[in-house]
Amino acid sequence: MDGSVKLDEVVMRFGDFTAIEPTTLAIESGEFFSFLGPSGCGKTTLLNIVSGFLTPSEGQVLIGGEPMAGVPVNRRPTAMIFQNLALFPLMTVFENIEFGLEVRGVDKRTRREASERLLSLVALEGSGPKLVTELSGGQKQRIAIARALAVEPRVLLLDEPLSALDLKLRQHMRAELKAIQRKTGITFIYITHDQGEALTMSDRVAVMSAGRIQQVADPMTLYRSPSTGFVASFVGENNRLEAKVIDRQGERVRVDAGLLGELPGRAGAQAPLGNGQAAALYIRPEHLRPVTQGASGPQLEVDIVSVQFEGASLMLQTRLVASAELLRVQLGSELAKRASTGSFQPGERIILGYDPDDAVVLPDDGSPRLDEETGEVVETTAGTAGAVQPSGGADVRSA
Amino acid sequence: MFAQLKARFGGPLAMAMLTLLGMWLIVMVTLPQLQMIDYSLRPNLLPAEVGGPKDGWTLDNYVTLFNNDIHRGIFFKTLWSSILVTVLTLIVSYPLAYYLAKVATPRQAALCLLMLIVPFWINEILRTYSWFIILAFRGPLNEILLALGLIERPIRFLNGDAGVMVGMVYAYILFMVFPLYNAIESLDDNQIRAARDLGAGTLRTHRRIVIPHAKPGIATGSIMTFMLAAGSYAVPALLGSPGSRWFTQIIYNWFFEGGNWNQGAAYAFLLLVLCIGFMSLVMKFFKVGLGDIAK
Ligand SMILES: Nc1ncnc2c1ncn2[C@@H]1O[C@H](COP(=O)(O)OP(=O)(O)OP(=O)(O)O)[C@@H](O)[C@H]1O
Ligand SMILES: [Mg+2]
Repeated sequence: MDGSVKLDEVVMRFGDFTAIEPTTLAIESGEFFSFLGPSGCGKTTLLNIVSGFLTPSEGQVLIGGEPMAGVPVNRRPTAMIFQNLALFPLMTVFENIEFGLEVRGVDKRTRREASERLLSLVALEGSGPKLVTELSGGQKQRIAIARALAVEPRVLLLDEPLSALDLKLRQHMRAELKAIQRKTGITFIYITHDQGEALTMSDRVAVMSAGRIQQVADPMTLYRSPSTGFVASFVGENNRLEAKVIDRQGERVRVDAGLLGELPGRAGAQAPLGNGQAAALYIRPEHLRPVTQGASGPQLEVDIVSVQFEGASLMLQTRLVASAELLRVQLGSELAKRASTGSFQPGERIILGYDPDDAVVLPDDGSPRLDEETGEVVETTAGTAGAVQPSGGADVRSA
Repeated sequence: MFAQLKARFGGPLAMAMLTLLGMWLIVMVTLPQLQMIDYSLRPNLLPAEVGGPKDGWTLDNYVTLFNNDIHRGIFFKTLWSSILVTVLTLIVSYPLAYYLAKVATPRQAALCLLMLIVPFWINEILRTYSWFIILAFRGPLNEILLALGLIERPIRFLNGDAGVMVGMVYAYILFMVFPLYNAIESLDDNQIRAARDLGAGTLRTHRRIVIPHAKPGIATGSIMTFMLAAGSYAVPALLGSPGSRWFTQIIYNWFFEGGNWNQGAAYAFLLLVLCIGFMSLVMKFFKVGLGDIAK
């Protein structure tokens, strides 16, 4: 059973608006593949193209190696789990699950056996005769999964299926979804704007922005080696420092970070970084750590603005002394302990260091990135180097 | 209901509104009906005999219908024809309502609704009469069919029930389309998409998803159409032939030509019973309550 999905130069236009820019992508059979991106970036559109609800303006979709052009929704080897689940409210749980089999002319007894089996797969034995309106949110979720699996799809398409659930249930369902995927070996294509979901469940993730796939990689690579500024800011938290490339030797890059002076970093994957090019240095909060004056390696002098205790870690909001830019620092539990003995108080001046391997340098390619304060996508125009004055940065010492 | 109105409008105003409503129901609806029933149970007497020894309650007027083969035939023919009109109207309206609710863009839907409604700005008699012209023996429809070579000689559309059917379906289509449209419109698009995604074709999607959801709308539209059809006077009078008389025409004759109001009242009451009977049957069949229909 080949559940591979290929997108071949797929483009989707609505009138003048291009929702999906030319996209080529191969999803392997049995893979848990996620599309991750902010609202409106075209995730649902892409899913609808795979399921057949939309016909791409250009390019083609292949499922199991077969071109899907002209194959209507009800003939495709896919099944969809809708964001609002779309269970049939006038039918019982049994009837819901068996609907797809009824359509295929499966006899009543075989249907009932199949639905009993699926109910035990989703751990809801015995609720078959109930009306779906009598179920709780999490139970409905499972029935939707069972209903989709009943037709034995080669590819299961999930459009933010957990977004309606509360946090606890959502985390529980993540594990459950992943387990079901392993057990069945079906290709899962999962859509979400929640990076936690994408990173914990997926074999590979495609990060999307404005109709374009920014990077396709396994979660670890995505986190460690983002290939564009957008991915660096959207996946996990990142501090961004604007800079100019001084020189590059293999992986290692030296940049001129304006008022901060010269800083070392690691070149992002396949990033073309010529000398003198406008770039950005991305350092994650957990990769920054306090160092003593005169220690080797890069040094950044900051004032602590505020401190947030988060149980296992300590989150510091700091301001760079040289450029007044904000920098977020996450201290692990060992260091966090020191806060209880009077260290790391607001107003304190400390020196931060980092391992150059942990700081990724990416060309400032004008790709859209997330504004860290509003969480919205902003277009950065290429070449506007120089420190961006963070809002509300009046007086450094006022804290 | 009083509590709700009181909360919104205050005690005195709520009281006044309910009193007016009650008055209207009693004076305009209940009392006339009761008087009709009273009429129907009395013999048709000369004015001088009213209140005399011959006056008194009797079922004679009802028995008339069962003894008169022609009238009984017309009564049942009216029943069957009205059911047929209802079914035909449903068949025509369902695709239209589905198109309006789920397929058409808002612009197309607005245009289509306008085209449906505009003819209803014209008086029912004129609208019906236009069908009389269209369907006439030497009318445009026959001319077109002849010109297209589809028929050899003109058809007498108005000779029998066909003309009445066409006229009624046309006259009452809106009463079916709107309840259907409301019902289908409220169906979540994803339900239809989910059914298709699970492999259902168009027919099954309608049979298992759309129609069950639209049941209350179908019931409402059917009841309205049936009542209007059974109680219609103008359409059968204009488009029917002498051989296709409607029960309303018999009632009319009793009242205004036979001068026998008592007999007319009995017939009218029977028609009312027929309509209420049909309504209860439909509601039972579709498993909907009065509340669903009033929505
Ligand atoms: N039928 C349509 N006609 C016109 N524009 C559309 C249509 N469907 C989607 N779009 C546009 O395409 C873009 C992508 O939409 P899509 O629904 O795929 O976003 P999404 O990534 O799923 O977002 P969300 O996370 O909010 O669901 C949006 O800007 C949307 O307005
Ligand atoms: Mg979406």
